[in-house]
Amino acid sequence: MIEVVDLVKDYRAGDGSVVHAVDHISFTVAAGETVGLLGANGAGKTTTLRVLATLLKPTSGTARVAGYDVVADPVGVRRHLGYVSATTGVADRLTPREIFTSFGRLHGLDREATATRVERLLAGLDLTSCADRPAGRLSSGQRQRVSLGRALVHNPPALVLDEPTNALDVLGARDLLSMLGQLRGEGHAILISTHRLHEIEHRCDRFVIVHMGRIVATGTRDELVADGAGLEDAFFVAVSRRVF
Amino acid sequence: MQMPSLWGAVAVAGFQLRRLLTPPRLAMAALGAVFPAAVMLAASRASRGRLDPDLAVVLLYVLIPEGLCLLGLLVTMCPAVSDELERGTWVHVTVRPSGRASLLLGTFLAAVVWTGSVALIALGIALAVTKVWHPEAVAMAFSGLIVLSCIGRAALFALPAVIMPKRALVASVGVAIVVEYLAGVLPAVVNQATVSLRLRTLLVEWMGWRRKLPVEIQLLVDMQPAWVQVIAVFIVAAVFLTAALFILERRQFPPSEEV
Repeated sequence: MIEVVDLVKDYRAGDGSVVHAVDHISFTVAAGETVGLLGANGAGKTTTLRVLATLLKPTSGTARVAGYDVVADPVGVRRHLGYVSATTGVADRLTPREIFTSFGRLHGLDREATATRVERLLAGLDLTSCADRPAGRLSSGQRQRVSLGRALVHNPPALVLDEPTNALDVLGARDLLSMLGQLRGEGHAILISTHRLHEIEHRCDRFVIVHMGRIVATGTRDELVADGAGLEDAFFVAVSRRVF
Repeated sequence: MQMPSLWGAVAVAGFQLRRLLTPPRLAMAALGAVFPAAVMLAASRASRGRLDPDLAVVLLYVLIPEGLCLLGLLVTMCPAVSDELERGTWVHVTVRPSGRASLLLGTFLAAVVWTGSVALIALGIALAVTKVWHPEAVAMAFSGLIVLSCIGRAALFALPAVIMPKRALVASVGVAIVVEYLAGVLPAVVNQATVSLRLRTLLVEWMGWRRKLPVEIQLLVDMQPAWVQVIAVFIVAAVFLTAALFILERRQFPPSEEV
């Protein structure tokens, strides 16, 4: 469902030098699978996700979502992808219902289809009780659920989440991750980036660890983690191998 | 270039207008709506109630289709991209099939509706306190000028908004001064692409002043009839908006550019 092959993304820095934000990265995410993209700040996680979301153009390599290439057919990608970020970007003055409706319209859904979808999302994300309350008066957990609903308004088969639990407390994070578990069960392909490893250690099918733009380790938890250790230890081992 | 769906642009316009309904913005709009009337009253008082009706119309023109519309559009159109980047909403809108185009056109629609409404209210209040010949005809002509001013200038400000989002306000003020008010008064080909030439010409045409104008002032207006001026504003607006859409579709904002 999500396929990244030999992806490179360079930026030109202010002093004219070239920064390799993403350096020949390859991985896949199948339907009904959750993959964790792990890395420290500046490792290239967000850039990778933004290339997948067609917000940035790759320097070289390919990225596809549901078979659509991010460069050749960005509109096809956008129709099949939902994107959630750490900064929810939820308008304070709008209610969850209004936000979902606006974004449904942005996807070209007609009034009836939008209304049906919005009601389903409000119920599924446990937002019915605050559906008509301005988002500025919602808790951070509720706002992140609104952000998730906004990404799901067109029912995309692939979902990309960039550090979605950053602003959430323990309960909010657990809530959100449980909902992602349900979505995986429904067949969505989920790619989630985070540096809060403990939260997703037992929730992902596979992990891709990136450091300084490159993949330094990849595999299931059992493949990465030594006996008696945790994912965090495996992460430090993978990253330090690269640095030293 | 991805063509926006009508519903996409309307949806964006809807939530941009909702965002504008804040107490500070409403207070600014109220101030803008009464300011021209206050100036007209002051001018009338200064002339001891003998303000020349033609001069009053010129003053209204400077205050509303030029001044008020320009200021309103600077506030509403210039932050089309920068506001989204700062609020963290850019990624969520532009990851939609026609997100970028819908964002620009929706913001354009909201800017025109908001500024145009404030300017029309200001016109109504100003005409109520000002003595002009044939106030109904002036109201009709100025309503047209307000709509054209909003459409033309909002499209013009779309360019700085997408080319240099974080300096859009400063750049737009520069564009307004250099393009609209310097190039616009040059009796050369360059002024043909300005909205100000079209609006001045329409004011002269619709007020029936063409024959009264001194020769040197006639250099500041176009010789073509009113309908040509109206079409010219729409063409200029379409060119500016298309150029802005073309640039926006190709712009990339690294994550570090978002606040």
